Formats: sequence, C-alpha cells, structure tokens
Amino acid sequence: MESNFNQPQRQSLVGILVIFLEMIFQLLKAMWPIIVITLLKANSLSVLIGSLTLLAVAVYFGVYSFLKYRNFTFYIDEENEEFIISDGIINKTKTTIQLHKIQQVNIKQNLIQRLIGVYALDVDTAGSDKKEGNIKAISHDLALALKSKLLENEGKKVAVSEEEIAAEKPEYQAIPFLKVNLGSLLKIGITSNYVKSVGLILTFFFTIYENLHQAGAEDVISTEKLEGFVDNNSVWYSGLLFVLIMFSVVFLINIGRTVIKFFDYTVTKQKGSLMLTYGLINTQSTILKPEKVQIVKVSRNYLQKKLNVLEIKIRQAISDEKKDNKSLIEVPGCNAFERDEILRLLFKQVPEKGVMMKPNFRKLIFSIFLIIVLPLTVYFLFGKYVEPRVFEYANVAVFFAIFMLVLLFFGFRNYRLFVNDNHIIKQSGAWDVDHEIIEIGKIQAITTSQLFWHKSLNIGSLTMHTAGGNITFHLGKFDKINEYVNLWLYEIETSNSNWM
Amino acid sequence: MENFTNETIDTKALPRFEAVQLSPIDPKYWRVILISIIGFFLLGIAIMVTLFFLVEEEFEHKPLLFSAYVTVFAIALLLSRISFKKKAYAFRTHDVIFRSGIIATNTMVIPYNRVQHVALHEGFIARFFGLAKVEIFTAGGISSDLEIPGIAKEEAENIKQLLMGKIQKQL
Repeated sequence: MESNFNQPQRQSLVGILVIFLEMIFQLLKAMWPIIVITLLKANSLSVLIGSLTLLAVAVYFGVYSFLKYRNFTFYIDEENEEFIISDGIINKTKTTIQLHKIQQVNIKQNLIQRLIGVYALDVDTAGSDKKEGNIKAISHDLALALKSKLLENEGKKVAVSEEEIAAEKPEYQAIPFLKVNLGSLLKIGITSNYVKSVGLILTFFFTIYENLHQAGAEDVISTEKLEGFVDNNSVWYSGLLFVLIMFSVVFLINIGRTVIKFFDYTVTKQKGSLMLTYGLINTQSTILKPEKVQIVKVSRNYLQKKLNVLEIKIRQAISDEKKDNKSLIEVPGCNAFERDEILRLLFKQVPEKGVMMKPNFRKLIFSIFLIIVLPLTVYFLFGKYVEPRVFEYANVAVFFAIFMLVLLFFGFRNYRLFVNDNHIIKQSGAWDVDHEIIEIGKIQAITTSQLFWHKSLNIGSLTMHTAGGNITFHLGKFDKINEYVNLWLYEIETSNSNWM
Repeated sequence: MENFTNETIDTKALPRFEAVQLSPIDPKYWRVILISIIGFFLLGIAIMVTLFFLVEEEFEHKPLLFSAYVTVFAIALLLSRISFKKKAYAFRTHDVIFRSGIIATNTMVIPYNRVQHVALHEGFIARFFGLAKVEIFTAGGISSDLEIPGIAKEEAENIKQLLMGKIQKQL
C-alpha cells in the first residue's frame, strides 16, 4: 500500500475512542477507592449525584477526546525531510523532528488498542526522556508504511550494523583484556560502600524489630535485658562493642555483595568495543562501545590507594529509558595500570590533568554554614526553647561538628577542575576521591551561572551537559570559566565530532 | 594531508558569548505573566472569601491571613518581574544563547550541531497576544533543553525555520 504522508492528517477515527477509554481507565485507576466506597454506602441521593457526576465526566471526556483528535495531526515534509506533529486544544504545540535524527520507531498495542484493533506509533530521538512523537491510533498497514517512510534514510545504516554484528560473532572467544581477580574484589569489598551497607543493616534491623514487635514477641529481644546489659557494663564499653559488631557486619556484607555481583569480572576487547561479563549467580554480560561513552568516573579512597585498587564507573548515552540501568557500567577493582589501559581504549589516550582550576574559599564557608552551622543552630534553639534534655547529647553534636568539618575541608581541598586540550576532569570528594572525565566533543550544552553578589568578586559556576549526565563546577574564577566556554564552543562548533 | 595545519588558537581572540548583545523577550509577555498570576490570585481570594463566609466561626485572624496572602502574591509578582526582565536570547551563527534566573544569572549555550529537534508551543493566554514559545531539545535530557518564551509568532516561526536549516547543514 503506497500511502501519502505529505498532507497533514489525523489518526484513525477510532482514535477518539482510544483517547476516551484511556482517560476513563486512568480515572478509574486513580479513583477506584472512592468509587467503591460510594457504591457501598450508596443511598438513593448519592446514587443520583454519583450518576450525574459520572455523566458529566463522560461528556467532558467525550468532548475532550473529540477535540484532542481533531487537533492532532502529523505529516512528513518531504522537501525539508521533517516529521511534523501538531497537538493540543488550548495550549498548542508543534513538534518538528528531522528524519535523520529519528532513532527508533516503535509500533505498539496496549489492551485498549488491541480491543479496538488499532496500533500506536512512537517516534524516539536521542536524549530526552519523554517520547517525542506519539500517535495513539493508526491502522497496522499505515503504521508500517509510516515507519518505513520515517526510517527510509536510516535503512542502510541499520543493515550495515547488522552485518557488522554478524561479522563480529566469530571473534567471541577473544583473549581477556582484563580479569579482576578475587583478591582485588576482596580489597574493594573491604574499602568501599560503607554508608550504603550501614543503611542496609539499619533498615534490616528496623524491619525485623518492627515485625517482632508486631508479632507480640517482645520477649525474644526484651528491652529490659538490653538495658540491663548496658547498665552492667559502662556506656563506652557497650558503645565500642556495638561499633565493632557493626563494622564487622558491614565488612562481611560488603565483601559478600561485591564478590557475588562481580565474581569473575572479565573484559574482552572485540573490534573496537568492550565486552564485559561478570557475576557469581547470574552471569551478566554487557557490550560497551567507546563512542557511546559520555562520562567516566574513577574513584579511589586513601585505603584503596595504599592497596592499589580503584573503581571505574562508565556512563553511556541514554537512548532508551528501559536500558537506563545498563547505561551505567561498573569496573570494580582494577589497578592503576589497568585503569590507564581502559582509559586509553575509551579515549584513545590517557586523559592528562591539564590546567587546574580551584574553587573560591567561599565554597568551603558556604558548605560549613549549610552542614554545620545551620543544624547546630536548630539543635541549640530546640534545646533552649523546647526540650533541654537534648543537651545531654552535646558530645555527639561536638563530634558531628568536628567530623563534618574535617570532611568538608578535605572535600574542598580535593575540589578541582582540570582542563586539557581534549578532556575535562573534575576531581571531588572527601574520602572517596572521584575523577569525572568527559571529552569536550561530548558536551551537548553549557550553562554558566553567577549570583549577583558574586559579580564583583568574579566567581561563578559552570555546568557541562552531556547525554550521560551533567558535571558542575561551583565558584571558580568566572572570567577563566567564560574563556574556556568560548574555546569549547569554538571546538564543538567547528568540528562534527560523533558524540554517540 | 599536505594542507593540514594545526595552529595554536588564540583564546583571547575567540568570539565571546558573554559579550553578545542579547535581545529581550517581547514586552507583551509581561502581560501574559500578569494575567496568569492575577488569575491565580483572584481564584485564591474567591476561595478564601467563600470559606470565610460559609464557615465563619472557624477562622480567627482573618485580616492577618489576608495580608499574608497578599504579601506572598506581591513577592511572587516581584520575582516574576525580575525573572521577566532577566530573560534574553541571541541566535549566533553556530549557537543559541539564553539568559535567565532570579538571584543568579544563568546563561545557557547550545551549539546548533547538538540540537535534536525543535517545537513551537503556544499557550492559551500567550496566543491572544500573538506570542509563542520556542523549545529546543538536545540529547542531554531535561536539564539541557531550552525554552524561550515570549517571542512573536512569526518571529518564532522564522527562528524555527532557521534552526531546522542549521541542523540540516551540519550533516
């Protein structure tokens, strides 16, 4: 069937019904408790009011669906190679997508559409999370015709990539390029993710306690026994014991988790892309294409530095929200040499730390104010005016203040931006020191930001947006930042680098 | 290959995005903002008055509540005015610049060869004033998408055409 999409056209007429039913279903999904209760408690008056409301809603939805259908048109502008969708009753939007930017066209059917016998067609481009174009009711033939029309110039590309995949297959049994041994995994397990594990343990204990409590089994872990224990021994002793137990449990959990998740972590090189396989119970395998890589994050803390292990996290371009969890790839426990190998593979060279940019000291002052001064003020005011007993825990507050001060100071000292000809590296973190690396060509947009009282001080912030997330550097020298932005824009705009 | 040169770029001589003269958005857009804020304000007043009269004994400090409400709206009005004044844009040969913000000045730059697609949005009130909003989408997700409101309809159409032309030329 040769269909012509050059004229603005509407969806199938039954589209009205699809829109209408979808709205009804959504309403029922949101309102069913109220509807059920009304039905249960019904008397003649409420039945009357209820049915009138229902009628009004049905009429409103009907009119809405009709107008929605009337105002929704789509067509292909052959001359400019654009797909144009107009939508909206009161607020009107006209979306223009260039055909060569379209990455995916999906033909789908939900329950309503299956009952009526029509299909939905989604048009997806790179980036943004929402679907750019969504046609709700279209016949199958028309959907297929439109799909092939939309992907006409894409057709060749798809075929080529399939051939490539076929050609790659025989090389599957390539020599491992990197193998993370058990020792490195143990080292990583011991030295990372404390906060996450403590959180897990706490939730675990609270859930168990809550369940026992509800089951009426307070005798099992009688609080009296616990209190007696604490009374018999000194507070410090029991505190120490608690911390010790906590730490050993955290260690065990961390090691277990890391080993189970990343057991036998193997990286194989195959024709310009990387193949990762890992896992003790379920073996996962992921393919990593260097050109899709957006942000590479190398993290290492003091202990890991001494043990010569580090973690790498790689963010790829997100093109499909379903694959969102696959866009983050972790490489646990490689050493400095292997890190350089991986970076060389991803960036064709090991990104050097170029010119360094430091943040203004106001950044430290501001975070001290936000994290230490503000909570302590609240604590003090609460103790003074509401409940003086909280002052019994003053030593905790002092400990908190000193601990946070040290963390913030180191965080500030490590907060740096390095710029070289091809890469930007942001260093941050107090205990775990992260290096986030991006290629200048992968930048999608740049935002600079300056508070009005920072104008005369010449400080401001910089955000680089990529398809794998943003990198922000706060309170650097603003004229320097602007100078770099101009240079980067020049580089992005004069070359046609492939960013994914 | 013989023609290949790789000279040092004089970073000081590059065109400076921060020095570009930006054009402010259409003054008529202020009326659009005003109408929507005042609409909300009146709606709130109507609800308040109904509540006060229907269940009068429930509320004390009526004048206080009322003046707090008015103050909140006055502040909202002031902030919107600042935000309106701050919004400005420029289309250069290779990129689009948009400035916005209330206490901070945010300047966003999107090179044309990173634009994925463009949309033209006409709000209900804005349509009465012949205004439209140009939306520019990149692959960087919501944080790097751009919305320039308050542009006259024909101009917005022109801008869209210009952008589409620019995107095409890049490939």
